[in-house]
Amino acid sequence: MANISCNDIVKSYGAHPVIEGLDLDIPDHEFVVFLGPSGCGKSTMLRMIAGLEEVTGGRIAIGGTDVTDLPPGERGVAMVFQSYALYPHMSVADNITFGLRRQGASRSEIAPRLKQVAELLGLEKFLDRKPKNLSGGQQQRVAMARAMIKTPQVFLFDEPLSNLDAKLREKLRTEIRKIHMQLKTTTIFVTHDQLEAMTIADRIVLMRDGRIEQMGTPDEIYERPATRFVADFIGTPAMNFVSADIAAGDRLIAHGEGMTLELSRSAFPDLAPGQRVELGLRPARMELCTPDTSNAITGRVVLVENMGAEGQVITEVAGREVSFVTQSFRDLSPGDPVSFTISPDHIHVFDSSTGHSLRRN
Amino acid sequence: MGKLISAILTRAVLGGLIVVALGPILWTVLGAFKELRDIVTPVPKVFFEPTLDNFATILRNPTIRDGLLNSVIVVSAAVLVGAVLGIPAAHTLARHARKWGDDVQFFVLSLRFMPPVAIAIPFIVIYLDLGIYDTLFGLVLVYLIVTVSTVIWLAVPAFERVPRNIEEAAAMEGCGPAEIFWRFSLPVAAPSLFGALVFTFVLVWNELLLALTLAAQNATLPVVAASITSLGKEVPWGVINAATVLLVLPPLVFIGLLMGLLNTMVRSGPK
Ligand SMILES: Nc1ncnc2c1ncn2[C@@H]1O[C@H](COP(=O)(O)OP(=O)(O)OP(=O)(O)O)[C@@H](O)[C@H]1O
Ligand SMILES: [Mg+2]
Repeated sequence: MANISCNDIVKSYGAHPVIEGLDLDIPDHEFVVFLGPSGCGKSTMLRMIAGLEEVTGGRIAIGGTDVTDLPPGERGVAMVFQSYALYPHMSVADNITFGLRRQGASRSEIAPRLKQVAELLGLEKFLDRKPKNLSGGQQQRVAMARAMIKTPQVFLFDEPLSNLDAKLREKLRTEIRKIHMQLKTTTIFVTHDQLEAMTIADRIVLMRDGRIEQMGTPDEIYERPATRFVADFIGTPAMNFVSADIAAGDRLIAHGEGMTLELSRSAFPDLAPGQRVELGLRPARMELCTPDTSNAITGRVVLVENMGAEGQVITEVAGREVSFVTQSFRDLSPGDPVSFTISPDHIHVFDSSTGHSLRRN
Repeated sequence: MGKLISAILTRAVLGGLIVVALGPILWTVLGAFKELRDIVTPVPKVFFEPTLDNFATILRNPTIRDGLLNSVIVVSAAVLVGAVLGIPAAHTLARHARKWGDDVQFFVLSLRFMPPVAIAIPFIVIYLDLGIYDTLFGLVLVYLIVTVSTVIWLAVPAFERVPRNIEEAAAMEGCGPAEIFWRFSLPVAAPSLFGALVFTFVLVWNELLLALTLAAQNATLPVVAASITSLGKEVPWGVINAATVLLVLPPLVFIGLLMGLLNTMVRSGPK
């Protein structure tokens, strides 16, 4: 068990910087997800913590010990790779116990621990097989068992589920989460799947171009995105963005493309009349209404996407597309006029030049 | 019905191909056990009284016996040292010097473009000066150029096919570079390396020109075989056949041994 602290981490390949001065503190027992678009430096960051990649600058400490210059084997971390990285020439049991055997643990010590992790991950039947005779999901479980058996201080996962089909992904995701609740080992989990991140994380570190864009609980990231980038990255269907101008008057009103919306004065006290902003409207926060409701947006249905319990309705409002999600999507068909509304509390406002959220509380 | 006919036809064609491919070899092996009069009869004999005389003649003949011994010594030394030097070098090239890897590999390959005569003549001069002309040691030394370069050339891609993540996973478990090489890279790449070694072995086992020019007195088996075939009309066919069998046998034994080694290496892993 250990906390992890990264201090002013810099990484460049040649002259090209990939990570530029990143600070990060992860408390003990926490399950942290590195989330971000492809190429933003998630794997690089993880591999530097693992010791597989050298830092160009900065220090990394695990459990209070500076590990920056230690080899991977001495950091007390275990890693699960996207490609599983099982040893093809060893049986499943040998794969799992290699680390312990290498440390010279006795047979009587290894056997019960092998039994324990094999049970935890449902691998009892496969222990004598070679990795190539297992399915992808089983192989990934072996990789997890191999990481777990040594009871490391930190688990590192680099997109461990992305080679699996959707159903298996969901199942293993839940299992990983359950195991974490049981073992409470500090964990960093890399993914570029925002839904995976939302469901599994205690805290999300959202990265962009080698920097941390926002760090917070899934709720904070979803409800209070610090920037337009975060708001756009998180949530399906993706957020609608509308340019708008703040109107003069008692109430806080924004005039956007084909819509007039009231904003929350308490959340955005600094907005001044005439200011140009960008509004963020989450499809999932909107609902059908009559045209005379406050904050109603009126348009014409372009397309209805059935998602089972709900449907995404894509509409055209003043020549641009705005989508919302509703359960009564079955009553709508393309060409219908439609009105929908969003409460002021759920409208996000971003500075139109910097993209920063203008929310103050 | 059509299916059956096509299956039968396929088999017949395959059978024919096998006979064409293996026939001469089989005939040679049979000939090695025949007496001369059984070989030169106008009607080929399939059934005959086998004899070991031909092998006895060969093994009693000091030139051939020494040739066999010299070949075994020179080739095993060259392949062994070539493997010991070439395989780790190939791993390093594949893993740590990727940016020069292609150049080095091409350079190594380019050594093979040169006609052997171009090497042989300067080597005669150098070897005479060094006093190692016509020695097995000198021959091993030139053969090392062949074995090291061939092993590197073939082993670099073999190591490149070993997933880097496997080596990284081993590093995460505390293995140092040497341990990673022995316990992971080498066993995982072993099947491809095996092919590389066999190829190298056969290459030098069959080498004639360098052996002829640099070690005419300490002749290897190909040199001896070449001299037998120039005997003229009075050909001791049985002896030649037996010599051929002897020439082919060591590579087969070598392949068998290597295969066994490979299997144990792949099975056991660390204890
Ligand atoms: N060995 C390398 N040499 C040069 N550049 C590299 C190297 N490894 C990674 N990079 C660069 O570093 C950046 C970050 O890569 P990284 O693998 O960390 O991205 P990632 O966030 O994990 O992306 P993904 O979601 O696609 O896995 C990329 O722009 C990549 O091109
Ligand atoms: Mg990655």
